This record gives sequence, C-alpha cells and structure tokens, in this order.
Amino acid sequence: MRRNKTLQFVILAAVLVIGGYAVFQSLFQTTAVMKAGNKPPEFRLLGLDGTAHDLSEYKGKPLILNFWGTWCPPCRAEMPALQSVYDRWKDKGVQLVGINLSEEKLTVQNFAREVGASFPILLDRNRQTEKKYGLKQYPTTFFIGADGKIQDIMIGGPLSENDIESRIAKLMNAKS
Amino acid sequence: MISNTKCECGHQNHIGTVLCEACGKPLIELPDDGQMPAEMRYDGVARRSQKANPSWIDRIWNFFSSVKVAVWLIILTLIGASLGTIYPQEDTFINLDDPAAYYKQNYGNFGVIYHALGLSRTYQSWWFIGLLVMIGTSLVICSLDRVLPLYRALAKQQVRKHLQFLTRQQVVYAGAVPGDQNTWLDGFAKQLKKKRYRIWRDGDALLAEKNRFSRWGPYINHIGLIIFLLAVLGRGIPAWHMDQYISIDDGQTVPIPGTNFFVKNEKFTVEYYTDAELPPTLKGSVRPKMFNTKATLYQCTAACDDPTRDPVLERVKTHDIQVNHPLAYKGLKLYQYDFSEQLRLISVSPVIVNKKTGEQFGPFKLPMRNPALTYQVGPYTLELKDKFMDFGLDEQGRPMTKSRDPNAPAFVFLIKGPDLSAGGEPYIYFPKQNDKVKFGQDVLNRAVADKLDIRVNAMKDVSFSEYTTFLNVRVDKAMPFIWTGAAIFMIGVVIGFYWQHRRIWLRFDGGTLTLGAHTNKNNFGLRNEVAAALNRTGIDVPAKSLDNRRKTH
Amino acid sequence: MNHLLDFSGGALIAALLIYSLSFVFFAIAVGGKKWSNREPAEHGRRWGWIAFGAALAGTAAHVTFFVTRWIAGGHIPTSNMYEFMTMLAMAVMLAFIVIYLIYRNILLGAFTLPLAVILIAYASVFPSEIQPLIPSLNSIWLRVHVTTAALGEAFFAVGFAAALVQLLRVVDFTRTDKAGRKARRWTEYTLVVIIIVIGFLVSVFSFRAAGYEADFQQTVVKTVNGQEQTYVQKVKYGLPPFVKPHNSETVSVKPFLGMEKPLFEAPSWMNGVNAGRKLNTIIWSLLSGLILYGILRLVARKQLGAVISPHLSDIDPEDLDEISYRAIAIGYPIFTLGALIFAMIWAQIAWSRFWGWDPKEVWALITWLFYTAYLHLRLSRGWQGSKSAWLAVIGFLVVLFTLIGVNLVIAGLHSYAGVS
Repeated sequence: MRRNKTLQFVILAAVLVIGGYAVFQSLFQTTAVMKAGNKPPEFRLLGLDGTAHDLSEYKGKPLILNFWGTWCPPCRAEMPALQSVYDRWKDKGVQLVGINLSEEKLTVQNFAREVGASFPILLDRNRQTEKKYGLKQYPTTFFIGADGKIQDIMIGGPLSENDIESRIAKLMNAKS
Repeated sequence: MISNTKCECGHQNHIGTVLCEACGKPLIELPDDGQMPAEMRYDGVARRSQKANPSWIDRIWNFFSSVKVAVWLIILTLIGASLGTIYPQEDTFINLDDPAAYYKQNYGNFGVIYHALGLSRTYQSWWFIGLLVMIGTSLVICSLDRVLPLYRALAKQQVRKHLQFLTRQQVVYAGAVPGDQNTWLDGFAKQLKKKRYRIWRDGDALLAEKNRFSRWGPYINHIGLIIFLLAVLGRGIPAWHMDQYISIDDGQTVPIPGTNFFVKNEKFTVEYYTDAELPPTLKGSVRPKMFNTKATLYQCTAACDDPTRDPVLERVKTHDIQVNHPLAYKGLKLYQYDFSEQLRLISVSPVIVNKKTGEQFGPFKLPMRNPALTYQVGPYTLELKDKFMDFGLDEQGRPMTKSRDPNAPAFVFLIKGPDLSAGGEPYIYFPKQNDKVKFGQDVLNRAVADKLDIRVNAMKDVSFSEYTTFLNVRVDKAMPFIWTGAAIFMIGVVIGFYWQHRRIWLRFDGGTLTLGAHTNKNNFGLRNEVAAALNRTGIDVPAKSLDNRRKTH
Repeated sequence: MNHLLDFSGGALIAALLIYSLSFVFFAIAVGGKKWSNREPAEHGRRWGWIAFGAALAGTAAHVTFFVTRWIAGGHIPTSNMYEFMTMLAMAVMLAFIVIYLIYRNILLGAFTLPLAVILIAYASVFPSEIQPLIPSLNSIWLRVHVTTAALGEAFFAVGFAAALVQLLRVVDFTRTDKAGRKARRWTEYTLVVIIIVIGFLVSVFSFRAAGYEADFQQTVVKTVNGQEQTYVQKVKYGLPPFVKPHNSETVSVKPFLGMEKPLFEAPSWMNGVNAGRKLNTIIWSLLSGLILYGILRLVARKQLGAVISPHLSDIDPEDLDEISYRAIAIGYPIFTLGALIFAMIWAQIAWSRFWGWDPKEVWALITWLFYTAYLHLRLSRGWQGSKSAWLAVIGFLVVLFTLIGVNLVIAGLHSYAGVS
C-alpha cells in the first residue's frame, strides 16, 4: 500500500493547490477599478507634440496623471490649478501629464491654447485608456509615486492647488 | 476492526472487507434481518479509506470519502445558494457605486444585515467557493476510493458463492427443480442468454450477469462533474476570460480593447411587432420583433500600437449579430446586448452657395468625426479652425462641447474666397438644421452670412446613424471544457440510471436449488426477469414471492 | 387562425374533462374493490384499464391542444405561465403513462390525475392569449430547454404522487406514541397544503365567474438623478381585498358580504402594488383552503389521512417506494439535461454567459442538488421507505417553488424583471 499513500498525498496536494487558488481568488478579486497601491496600467498614446508616449517614460519620478475633457466643466475649471502646479514643480522632479478623454486633436489643442495649458497632454483614443484605468467620473487624477505605484486617486473635481500640493507633499515624502 | 481476514474458503482478504472477496461469505456478524449489509454495493470489498490506524492523511481522506459528508456538502451548498436569491445580487446591477446604501435604502434593516453578511455577493464569497471546492474534492476522493475496489471485485468474480451470500440477496428463490438438474440448468441458462445475460458455469453453480458497464455510470458522471468544476475554475484565469461592453454608432469602427480586433457597425436595424400581430392587451405597446447589427470584424495587421498613425485593418468577417446569433471568430464572440435610438450625423456633403451670384460649389464631404483640416471647394478655401461635437456655452458664455458624441456638431471655418477679406473670414457651420436655428448660425456669422451659405441640398447628401448598438464582447476559453464535462456527466447518468447491473447466482446443494440475484437499481425488473426465466423452465413462482424483503416482514 | 385557437382551447377543456373522468374511474378501481359481489383483483384490473384508457384519451386531447396552439401561434406554446403550466400538465401525463406501463399501479393514477387537473386549472388562472416572442426568447435551445426540463419535472411529479400514496399507506393511525403522532401530523399537513391549493383555485375561479373587481393605486416618489419623480401604479384585484398594497389609495371596491374596504395594509417591506395583490391572494387561499378542510373534516369526522389510508391497504408500500424512486431516477437525467445543460447552452447563446446566478437558475440548481442528495442518500446510505418518500415530497415542493414561487415571490418583492 506504499504507492497508494503517495497517490493520496498527490491528490490531496493537488486539491489544496487548486482549491486554495479558487478560494484565494474569491477573497482577493481584482476589479477593473484602480486602488491605491496598484500599478497603473500601461498605455501608449499620441501627445499634442505629435509623438508617441509610453507610461514607462515617466518612471522613477512622481507623476500626476490627470484625465480630463473639454466637455467636462470641473475638468475645465481645474486647468489653471494644474498649470500653476506644473510650473512650480516641473524643475523639481514632479511630472504632470494630462490625458484627454478621446477628443479630437484640434479641439484639444484649441482648448489648451485658450486656457494656457503647457503641460504635456496625451490623447486617448476610443476610450481605451480610460477603460483600462476604470474611470467612472471625470476628472480623475492619479498620484503615482516614484516607485511606480498609485498612491492616491482623486475622483471628481475641480481640484484646488491646495488639494494637489498636499498630495505632492506626500509623494515627495514617500520618495525621500 | 476485524483482525482475522482470512475466509474459510482460504482467501486472504484486505482489512475492512465485509464479504469475502472470493466466495462472498459474510466475515462479520450480520444483522438478523436476513438482508445483505449495505456493503453489497461494492461486493463487500474494502474501500481504501477503511484502514486500521489511520494517519492524519488518512483522516482527511476518510472525511472526503464519506458519502454522508458528501450529502452534507450538497445540502449546505443548496442552503447557501438559496440565501443568495433572497435579494438581488450586487452583480446584477451594472453600475452600483455604493452597494451598502442600495441595500439599506431598498430593503431596510434586513438589507443592511444581508449586505453585511456578504450575502449580496453569495456566489463569489469564499465560503460558497469553498463549499464547491469541497464538493469537488469529495467527488475525486469518493470516486477513487470506490472505483478501484469495485473494479477488482467485478473483474475476478467467483461463480460459486457461499450459501449465505445467496440467501441474503434481495431476490431469492430456493426449492427443487423439475426433472434432471443439469438439463434444467441448461434450459435456465438458455433463458437468461435470451435476456442478454452472460453466463459462467462452475459445475452445478452458475453466474449470470448483464449490463456491468452500468456500474461505471456514477464514476463517469463524477469525472464529468470534476471536469466541469475545473473548467469553471479555469474561467478565473485572466487570459481565458474576457467580458466587456462596447457601444457603436452606425458606420463607426471601434477597437476591441485588449485584442487586435476592430469592429464596425455597418448598420443597425430593429423591427417591431405591428398592432395586427399583437394580442388585444398588448396593442399599442412597443415590442421588438428582431434587432440586428450588421457588423464587420477587422484584424489589425500593422501600426496597431502606434498612436501616430492609423492602424492598418484587414476585414475578417461580416455577420448579422442578433440576440441568439452572436458573431464568433476564433474564440472571440460578439453578442447583441442592447441598443438605443440616438439620431447622430455621420457625415454631410454640403455645397457652398455664393449668395450674390447664386453659383453652387461642391458638394464636399464633411465627416463628423476626424474631418480634414482644409477643404478646397471651387474658389473657396475652408480651413477648419475649431470643432465642437455637442455645441453649447459654458458658464462664462464661451463655446464648448457638452459631450464627446456628435449630438450637435459645429464647425468653425476660416473661409477665403471671392468677395471675402484676404485673411479669410470666420464662419460657424451647424450641419443640423435645428441646431442652425437654435444657436442662430446666421446671427453668429453676421456679414458673411449674407455673402455665402453652406447647405445640404438633399437627404441623399446626409448620412446619419439612427441607433447606437451595444455589443457584449466575450472570450471564454473554458467553454469547450464546460461542455465536455457536461456531456460526460450526461453519459454517466444515462448509463447509470437507464441500465441496471444485474447478477444471478445459483447453486445446488443436495438437489435443492438456491438462487440469489442482485441489482443496484430496479429490483422490480430483476424480479420479473428471474420469475419469467423460472416460469419458462417449469418453476411457477409469482415475481413478488421472490422478494427477500417481503418474506421476512 | 382564430378558429384554430378556439379549437385548441376546446381540446384543452376536453382533456380536462376526460382527465377528471379518468380520475373517477381510477378512484372506482381503487375504492370499489371492497364492494360486494366483486372479485377484487378482477375489478381493479378492469376499471384500471378503463381509467388508463381514459387517461390516454385525455392525453391525446391535450397533445391536440398543444399542437394546434403551436400552429396557431407560430411558436411552441411554452412562453408564458399559462402555456408552461398546461405543457407541464401534459408532461406529467406522459411521465405517468410511461411509469404506469412499467408498473400497472392503479393507485398511481388515482393520485397523478388530480395533479394534472390541478395544474391545468392553475394554468387557467393566467391570461391565455398568445404573445409574440421578444427576440431573446426566439431560440430553438430555449424551446428544447423548457420542454425537456418540464418532462424531467413531470417524472418528479409522478415520484411525488407515488411517495404521497406510500406515506398515506404506511402512516399508522393506531399508534399513539410520539413518532406515530408526528408521522400522522405531517401527512395531514401535506394534505392540507394540497387542499389550500384547491382553495386558491376555487376562490379565484368563483370570483372571476362573478366578475369581481377592486382597484387600488399607489403613488411612488423616486429620486432619479437628484430629481424627485412621481409615479402612479395601479393594480386590479380579482379577489375581495383583505389587504391593500402598502401606502395605496382605494380607487373602487365592489362590496362583498358587506366588506367595502380593505381591512389591512400590506407591510412596508412589500414593495410595489403587486406584492399587496399577491399577499391578498395568499390570504384568500389559506382561508378558503382551511374552510374547505374544515368542512371535509366535519363530514369525515376524522383526519383525512385516516379516510384515505384504509383504501390503500392491499398495496405493498415497497412497490410504491420502488415506483417513486424509479420515477425520480428516470426523471433525474432528463431534468439535468433540460433544466441545466440545455439552459446553459441557451444562456450562452442568448445572454453570452452560460450561468448568471439568476434566481431561476439558482433554484433549478437547488432542485438538482436536492435530488442529487436524494439519490445519494438512497443509493449509498440506504434511505428507503418513509424517509425517502418524505424527500420525494419535499423535492416536488422545491420543483414547484422553482417553477412558480420564484416568479411569484422573488420577482414580486424585488425589482427583478419577472416573466408571466
């Protein structure tokens, strides 16, 4: 009955692994909604500058990722705050990138010029990136640490400069 | 436990054996009801779990190999599943941002408790999954534990069984036979052969057996269930499963996220029942008869991941997607999910009219999405300066778009041409007639409006989308395994329930016939079969009198 | 087309009448054995054949109804509650014929035929007009699924009938100990439940024949996107209202025995106007059923079980046990195929997922799990006799809840979109 013992052991071990996996999955279900601590999904998007940009370009430094559209009033309202934060931090190692919510380049360009937004703006296409990020409300702003993990998510807006500054402080603290 | 496992016939049995594996003599004291113990099911052979001095591994094994435990697991799963139907589950709502609040608002305190206990997600809960895992474990272990001993018992059957084995079967006959013993035995064997029994003889003992394969039914159906459960589990593997919804206007092509595929809605159509087709109580109601998305699936062959260029698409398949008729391509399935009536322009082909001369130029094609930045129409040059998908004004009264869908498109051109200033003049154009009136196009364009007009001459110059179709995109690579498991399960239950394993033993002791017969299901049929065979060979007994249970009552 | 539909309706009425006759014949076959000047076995055989012949004729009429309605409607008549319940009754008769041909047991007829009659009567509570199909229901797999599932459930119904006879047969009315009293009480409860169902049918049809009506309306304020919107929902009662829907106003109530307005209001957790109507129907069923039971008790002067039981004395309980089990064993694979596998195939094609934990699906699974437990208890744990008979009775209650209760209760109390 020696061999049977091994068989028993193998079967019980298989059950433990497969069953454990099933129960584990039920406990830690990953949903489409991003949470603090998650890694932000990759993207490759066209910038207003005419070149393609990857998320990986922004690695190593804190990154503020703002999803916005010209049709969304709070998004429009927070543009000046974003711009002044960008001006203040662009040389101190904090990056700020806006991702437009699948509008046409012409519309985005005109709007950016109108409000004087000079920070890098990327153009989502066919809502693909916003779907990856599980957006439900606009604007949504992700604060991503230098370690490449999401530290904070601000859903809705408009954000004030203080809102952004306090989160940058946290990003910088985490870095040092 | 039994210490002496050697039978009087000389066979050495495994520990836990109840009936001698060779001759069938009971090895333990049997209850005095004259019937076979329950172990007859496996011919009394020891199951693997029945061992002396079990180790911890044996204990776990014993737990899962018990049918009693299996039944408890089934009952608990049944109760658990019913709890989940008290209130709707969270995942029946597509957008439920705050489930706790929803249950409180709709179902009061019970709702709060229901949600707090996690019953609003019953079927994804750890305990429910855990029960299913335990059922799966029980299926594997119960089957393994029984199938091998059963195989062993059925593979080497002894024809001559112990007298007690025969008299304790459910169907029993004892008595004299008419005429010569051997002649009778030949005749009886012939009768049984007619009934498709296989016959083995050992002197004056006989064993007749049929439909042995039916015994494998339960194990086959358990294998089917195990495959099914594993396949369900496999759906959790991210690459095996995809489920998303996309909405497409007529004429629009959209990528399917996470794949290399694009899908175009060529045309959506919907048909409603006419009043004549509806019964009196439904007359006047809107009842869709059929809706159809004529869809084309494209595969991207180049520049798929390059946002600076347009992807190169190759047509793969065109299909009429209807409810119950999804588009399927290499494991990717597109289902008709819903639709909404939403009149949107796709493109217009207007002409430019010089109001002074009455001359017409064009038409030129102006798509609502991604138009060109310059158009040369006759003597006029149009430069697109700004564009709004859904024209409106913001709080400061500046023009903005209210959404990103072309519900009220507006184009701001800088027009150069005859009778216009050299630097060009701005001109706002609303392709939709009602927007033109609503937003006062002519007022906005002031003097230019007197010089020229951009207009669409006929309906044929307008292409529009009437409906937006909603498709559900699915990849479910586990499905073939699900169906395989289900099919194997069905084969198992059918051979297990619609055929019955029947065995008849008989022996002569001093000229007296003793016959015992056994089946795992349908005693009634076996009794009739035995009685018929006995009747045809000159022993007249009513079928009912063969029932061993009844005699003792 | 309408002629065909009329003919179809006529065929169903004919089937109903022939079934009732067949029931009477079966009852004579069972009960008349003890009449004087009769050879009991011969009497049973002769009347058994007459009754079974009638059952066959009734089934033929029933199949005619089904086929003609199919032709008239252009699609298989299984798409609303009326069509489904009549089809279920037909499936019960087919299952009965199969089991009867195997076992030739007249008692089974005496108990299955009333079941078919009750099912048809229950079906008639629902509107019988043919409704054109919405696209999702227009699938061959749905038709196969519904008919096969019904056939499986029909075998469970026959198993239930046999189990009920068995329980009535073995219950001992002379025993006074605790277990004996318990067995008697539960058998009697089961009969009471059946009488309540009959009470429900009697009250619905009596008031319908009398043209009774009462109307209520409920004003619901809902907040949609931050705006309050007011909806007025109306409901028509076919039975005099003991209970009106929660928070509703009376529009009109025909007086009945001096009752001119509702006596109570439905509790607040019963959302919607239909919940109030259903509660009222339940109260009526209980009331009329209990009154009916009371009358029967007064006439019989003993428990109803004790009235029926003596007529069953010459039947072997083991035979009934076997029949009940056999019917379930035949039904189980059919049920699995129809209610689960075909349902999954249809769900996969129509709803893009083979399983969605929708209440109806879950209850089909619960039914299946229940009968799975039954078979394991019986085959591996040796549960036979009364224990297994009780399981067969409970199992059929689970089937009925899956078929009717889920639509009535779960769909009524929740916003879940119901059928029928």
